[in-house]
Amino acid sequence: MNLDLFGGMEEFVLRERESSAGQTDFRQNNNGNNGISEFPKNTPLAMAYVPFQQWSETYDDDKALSRGTLFPELDLPFTGGGSVR
Amino acid sequence: MNERNILLGKIKKYDFTLKELDLYLDTHPNCRRALAMFRKYKELRENAVGEYTRRFGPVVPEQVNDTEHWTWVDDPWPWERR
Repeated sequence: MNLDLFGGMEEFVLRERESSAGQTDFRQNNNGNNGISEFPKNTPLAMAYVPFQQWSETYDDDKALSRGTLFPELDLPFTGGGSVR
Repeated sequence: MNERNILLGKIKKYDFTLKELDLYLDTHPNCRRALAMFRKYKELRENAVGEYTRRFGPVVPEQVNDTEHWTWVDDPWPWERR
């Protein structure tokens, strides 16, 4: 028995990407995201999504090295379970 | 901290910032602001490494120019820094 669980998934992902891109300006913008938004326009249930990083402010180089990242939105220290600030 | 360590510290943080921008640009290859920042830090790093090698010797063995002496082995080594 062949359970084709992931058949057509690529097509699905492509369709999603097009539909999310369709909403925004697809010309090269300052932002460099090529109009790719943080999340697709449609986010069906039971699927996991990784937000697409958008350019914003950066730490200065001293702070970047000591925090371990240049990007404040990625400065997420692991607190060993429980809440992240 | 002596000047040598200050300069090494600069190179270290410029290297880190460049690596971060490198990773960001891998997924955002058309981001002009990241590209501009990368260019800026590349120049900062080149200047700092240039000054370091002129005054204190090579950062990597390829920078050894001396025809008489292999300056790469000169002290201090990183673990001998104070």
